[in-house]
Amino acid sequence: MKRSWYAAPYAVWMALFTIVPLLLVCYYAFTTRSGAFTTENLTRIFDYAPVLFDSLRLALYCTALCLLIGYPAAYFMASRDMSRSQSLAVLILLPMWMNFLLRTYAMMTLFENNGVLNTLFEALGLPRQQMIGTEGAVLVGMVYNFLPFMVLPIYTVLKKLDPRVIEAAEDLGANPVRVVTRVVLPMSVPGIVSGITMVFMPAVTTFAISRLMSSGMIYLMGDMIEEFYITMNNRNVGSAMSLVMMVLILISIGFLRKADPEGQGGGLW
Amino acid sequence: MVQDTRLIELKGISKSFDDTQVLHSIDLYIRKCEFITLLGPSGCGKTTLLRIIGGFETPDEGQVLFEGADMANVPPYRRRINTVFQKYALFSHLNVFDNIAFGLNLKTPEALGVKTRRQKREEIARRVGRMLKLVKMEGYEKRSIDQLSGGQQQRIAIARALVNEPEVLLLDEPLGALDLKLRKEMQVELKAMQQQLGITFIYVTHDQEEALTMSDTVVVLNGGRIQQIGEPKRIYDEPKNAFVADFIGESNILSGIMREDCLVEMLGVEFQCVDEGFAKDEPVDVVVRPEDVMIVGEDVGMLTGTVESVIFKGVHYEMMVNTGAMRWKVHSTTMQPAGSRVGMSIVPFNIHIMRKEA
Ligand SMILES: Nc1ncnc2c1ncn2[C@@H]1O[C@H](COP(=O)(O)OP(=O)(O)OP(=O)(O)O)[C@@H](O)[C@H]1O
Ligand SMILES: [Mg+2]
Repeated sequence: MKRSWYAAPYAVWMALFTIVPLLLVCYYAFTTRSGAFTTENLTRIFDYAPVLFDSLRLALYCTALCLLIGYPAAYFMASRDMSRSQSLAVLILLPMWMNFLLRTYAMMTLFENNGVLNTLFEALGLPRQQMIGTEGAVLVGMVYNFLPFMVLPIYTVLKKLDPRVIEAAEDLGANPVRVVTRVVLPMSVPGIVSGITMVFMPAVTTFAISRLMSSGMIYLMGDMIEEFYITMNNRNVGSAMSLVMMVLILISIGFLRKADPEGQGGGLW
Repeated sequence: MVQDTRLIELKGISKSFDDTQVLHSIDLYIRKCEFITLLGPSGCGKTTLLRIIGGFETPDEGQVLFEGADMANVPPYRRRINTVFQKYALFSHLNVFDNIAFGLNLKTPEALGVKTRRQKREEIARRVGRMLKLVKMEGYEKRSIDQLSGGQQQRIAIARALVNEPEVLLLDEPLGALDLKLRKEMQVELKAMQQQLGITFIYVTHDQEEALTMSDTVVVLNGGRIQQIGEPKRIYDEPKNAFVADFIGESNILSGIMREDCLVEMLGVEFQCVDEGFAKDEPVDVVVRPEDVMIVGEDVGMLTGTVESVIFKGVHYEMMVNTGAMRWKVHSTTMQPAGSRVGMSIVPFNIHIMRKEA
């Protein structure tokens, strides 16, 4: 009986900062500026279908790239060679200790027309490249920002994997490739699912990264919502868009949950 | 059954972990179709030796030969060996059926004696079914591993290794988690399988009874050193030193002095024995098994003492008899009440003399 009271602060916290804002978003989404009920805000989303499509596409690319880079990284981090894995872990996690905007600004200085990379190209006698402003640059920025969220859950799962199980597979005749395909990969599915969720969710609603890395050429849903809220001061359409994004994300989580019904995904969300 | 060809040979195997030496120059050969048991107390290096044979651990010194060929550069998956691991190491992402089928799935259809993939699937199902029956786990095919008890997991681990019908099977305390009745049944089943399929078993246990009943050869280990290698009966009847005598079966161990060939003095009494070749007045260890001590009348006994305690052990009574200088453990089918005075005698053949360990 009494115990439940300990949860009270969290309940208050939840109500204040999760439930109330959610309700507000719903309220704004279905009302006009003057407060009358409408569904027009929601239908406005169709005007921005290409942006929505771009957001989903880039988020998918980003998630795929994070998985491709992140899985091997997590694998090496979890392997028993501690001294090497330590430095690799720091390398991957260090950027997390910085605000993502700062990180992105740092990235920009690398890719700018007069940036570090182009200076390097010039020194090597290679032609300068227009990098900033391209979709590739946005993608690099996104992957750089979201990679840790892929690595961590996979690392957690791999770290827990009993080396004796791998020995058992070898014992039964599995060569190194088959050890990975038949044991290590299947056993890390929960971590992969968790990683995909952790990357895909924030990636769909990416903002700022896209604008900065594309010098304002590429607008994603996150940027749109920000724009409606702040620049155009139209929180009704902004809320409607947020709502649509939330529903899309919930649906995708639903699919992913199917792949990891026990929810052992590294315990990260 | 056991053939003369040496299948596996260990030559001077030494292994250390962080400066502590776990195995000291182990020399051992294992013949084709042999049931050989590594027996020894916890921590004596049994698992380590088995892991070296399986290829999961590299020895610091020495060689493992398989049919005469050095195995140093042969990874575990290419050795014709399967292992029942002490801690099972089952695949938690697969159900019982797929765990057992793991090794077979990796093989080509031809290796299973069939042509098509379909036939392979059927053949695997057939073999897995037979194994499940053997380990008394029929109907558990679809169960997930974490829904099984320890003993059930252990039986799946046995089935998973045995189903591959390897040339050599390493078993690390494979019956440790089973209750006594199932354990006895599985001992019989394993022994039958071993003989029927002609598989070489390298078996690890610290249960001396299991070792003696199942093995062709027993290797007694202590502190990473081989104490004695031999047939079970020989090890039991002629332990080479006090450690083996104490570890295998129950025994009365006492110090004695070899007065001359076939005459040993212990507890101030001279006994006839059958051992020769010791120096005159050499100090020795003497072993007498409890069942070899005969209770006789107080007046005709070589030793006399008082019965201190009597415990009924099923088939026999176990009595502790105090002769003043020592308490003897005596097994007899007839009971002497506690407190009574008895005489004891031992026939020469049942007195085992061993050199003192350095
Ligand atoms: N990977 C390892 N690192 C360090 N020490 C180890 C390692 N493996 C085994 N040892 C040590 O080596 C010794 C022998 O271990 P081993 O597992 O071979 O014993 P065992 O005879 O199988 O014992 P048990 O009957 O308890 O299974 C022990 O003292 C153990 O602590
Ligand atoms: Mg062991």
